[in-house]
Amino acid sequence: MKNIRKALALMLALCMAVSLFACSGGGGTAESTPPATEPAEQQSEAQPTDGGDEPSGGMAKSITLWTYPIGKWGNEEEVLKMTSAFTEATGIEVKVEYLAYTDGDDKVNSALSSGNAPDLIMEGPERLVANWGANGHMVDLSDLFDSTDMDEINAVNEGVMKACTHTSGAIYEYPLVMTAHCMAINKNAFEAAGALEYVDLEKHTWTTENFIKAVEALYAEYGDTVGAVYCKGQGGDQGTRALVNNMYGGTFTNAEHTAYTWDDPLNVEALEQLRGMDGIAFDASLEGGDEIAKFYQGVLKMAFCWNIAQQLDPNSAHGDPGKTVTGDDIVFMAFPSKDGTAKLQGGIWGFGIFDSKDAGRIAAAKEFIKFMCDSEHTADAVKTANYFAVRTKAGGADLSNIWADNEIMAEYNVLMPMLGDYYQVTTNWAQARTSWWNMLQKVGEGADVAESVAQYAKEASGG
Amino acid sequence: MAKNRQTMSRALQRREDIAGYLFMLPSLIFFLGFVVIPMFVCIGYSLTDATMHQQQTATQFVGFSNFAKLFQDKTFLEALRNTFVIVIVSVPTVCAFSLWVSSAIYKLSGPVLSAFRCIFYLPVVTGSVAVTVVWKWMFDNYTGIINTALKGIGVIDKNINFLGDSKWALWCIILILFTTSVGQPIVLYVSALGNVDQGLVEAAKVDGATDFQVFWKIKWAQMMPTTLYILVITTINSFQCFALIQLLTSGGSGTNTVMYHIYYMAFKLTEQAGHFGYANAMGVVLAIFIGILSALQFRLAKEK
Repeated sequence: MKNIRKALALMLALCMAVSLFACSGGGGTAESTPPATEPAEQQSEAQPTDGGDEPSGGMAKSITLWTYPIGKWGNEEEVLKMTSAFTEATGIEVKVEYLAYTDGDDKVNSALSSGNAPDLIMEGPERLVANWGANGHMVDLSDLFDSTDMDEINAVNEGVMKACTHTSGAIYEYPLVMTAHCMAINKNAFEAAGALEYVDLEKHTWTTENFIKAVEALYAEYGDTVGAVYCKGQGGDQGTRALVNNMYGGTFTNAEHTAYTWDDPLNVEALEQLRGMDGIAFDASLEGGDEIAKFYQGVLKMAFCWNIAQQLDPNSAHGDPGKTVTGDDIVFMAFPSKDGTAKLQGGIWGFGIFDSKDAGRIAAAKEFIKFMCDSEHTADAVKTANYFAVRTKAGGADLSNIWADNEIMAEYNVLMPMLGDYYQVTTNWAQARTSWWNMLQKVGEGADVAESVAQYAKEASGG
Repeated sequence: MAKNRQTMSRALQRREDIAGYLFMLPSLIFFLGFVVIPMFVCIGYSLTDATMHQQQTATQFVGFSNFAKLFQDKTFLEALRNTFVIVIVSVPTVCAFSLWVSSAIYKLSGPVLSAFRCIFYLPVVTGSVAVTVVWKWMFDNYTGIINTALKGIGVIDKNINFLGDSKWALWCIILILFTTSVGQPIVLYVSALGNVDQGLVEAAKVDGATDFQVFWKIKWAQMMPTTLYILVITTINSFQCFALIQLLTSGGSGTNTVMYHIYYMAFKLTEQAGHFGYANAMGVVLAIFIGILSALQFRLAKEK
């Protein structure tokens, strides 16, 4: 009996010890567990660095992709169509993990720290170039571009390649899609308040003066907050930056992207104007996503965090395109500016490769990028993202008319020429974003605007 | 014969010792692997400028400079102040409230007592994310039930931005923390009150002791180990308040705490040189404060 008990104790101890070592993984080698996925997407959970299988023709047979929710690139069913086509064409399997913006960076940073980064990542230059690229985690993709590729991309917008290229000359992102971030208004609410006269519904533009009049009219009608300068965190902060910068022509960084210039007196003027307006609230309980939800519910009458993906699928609620939950019409608008010609904040998304030091996996990842961004399959990859192609042609196929069948996309094209400077690649970007929403909170609480702006702009610059 | 028996007894003892250690081994491995070793790693890193970009910049030993920097960092000092406010308000409140509730319910009949225990314990067993989401809805600036109710009964004219206004946000966090913290102390106090020696209570009453004297001299003294445990656990939980802050305010509106700031520094501000080392230094400072307060509580309880 005693022997049995002893054996049982020994077995138990061994089991626990073995399970502990199994849990702890192999010190950042192939079997380490990746960060958890969003619950809805757990079925396709991927091991981040198990791509080092038997190379076939110099390429790994399996690679991993982590993607942020860029249009339907956050939808497992849609992404599976794309990755299956790639696997069919190349024999390389792609395991996908879906990241959320709320904690995606944390997961990537944890993976990088423990040497478990995926092969591919899909996001924008502010992360791929200015952060992970600048810190030596990414592979230079220059060899994937020839002069034709450059011409096809530059024909759409010359700023795209500039944004994807690090100051060292290395290209850390292969761009796929782009859009112009904008704002939106509730057309029915504007109509009820008699404020439709202040917006140009054809050009989707308005002046700062008319914006102020429209807010006054809306406040007179509803007697409550109609637009929120959300500042709970950095989510959707491109909207508040664009609003403040455009109102009187202020800037966020210098043209060289070497310094933060949002202590510009024109921004101070805009912030003072916004703070003094009935109907506009500096709301530290909302982030961009929360603001969109309030706008979609009809609580707020305008949203500063908007783009074409939202216009097609407001609040990602799979409701009617261009409609609130109550059925009101949503009209996308450029941000108000003094003369009605706004400079919109661009969004560029594409793929980057984490430097695994494994030539086979890097080669397979490059194959994936060429397949998605420069082949006859690019049109599908672009459409999956719900944004606009960054190039005129890919793999010989024309991309300029891929959205001709979609009325909303075609109409949204009116905003694309307003794309402004892609300044999100400025050094110290993460700190700058944090300083921006902290500054908005202080301003909202009644602090001196000029002092707050100067203090936080200095902090953003590392001062 | 006696020597033989002694040898057998020693062998028996050794066998039992080995069996005991083997039973302890699994948890010991976990304890060493996930508590003790990381603790020393954390202390080690706090003396370096470690970052997640170690392939670019080698980690350097920087001595105590991270600690020196901490006490000039306005954000950290604000987070430390907020953390202390949470601890100072929430620990005594939780203890006093749970003692009061326990005193009121511990003599109730079985099913009624169980019902009360369930009610107070429910927020503890419910996931903190679910609890937080519900509170977020209730505190909502536009459509929250609290604003609607207060407006309905005429207490306020305009909605209060509970989670977006620094005058309110920290107190809302403390309130939510309170609701999730009282469950366990109530259950423990109910149990401790049930175990108070009734003979002593009755003897005191026969000697003419008042209810207050019975409570203070007999019940309170006998519950001291439970109180000490509750104080220490509540203090640690309050110091480590994180999920509520992350989900409700992201550290804004005057609710930044040391725990949240550690996370933010380590995983968000990854561009900053030495961010891992600096975050670890904050962790060490937090651990020191928790250690000092816990030791103080033990000391006071011992004196009592």
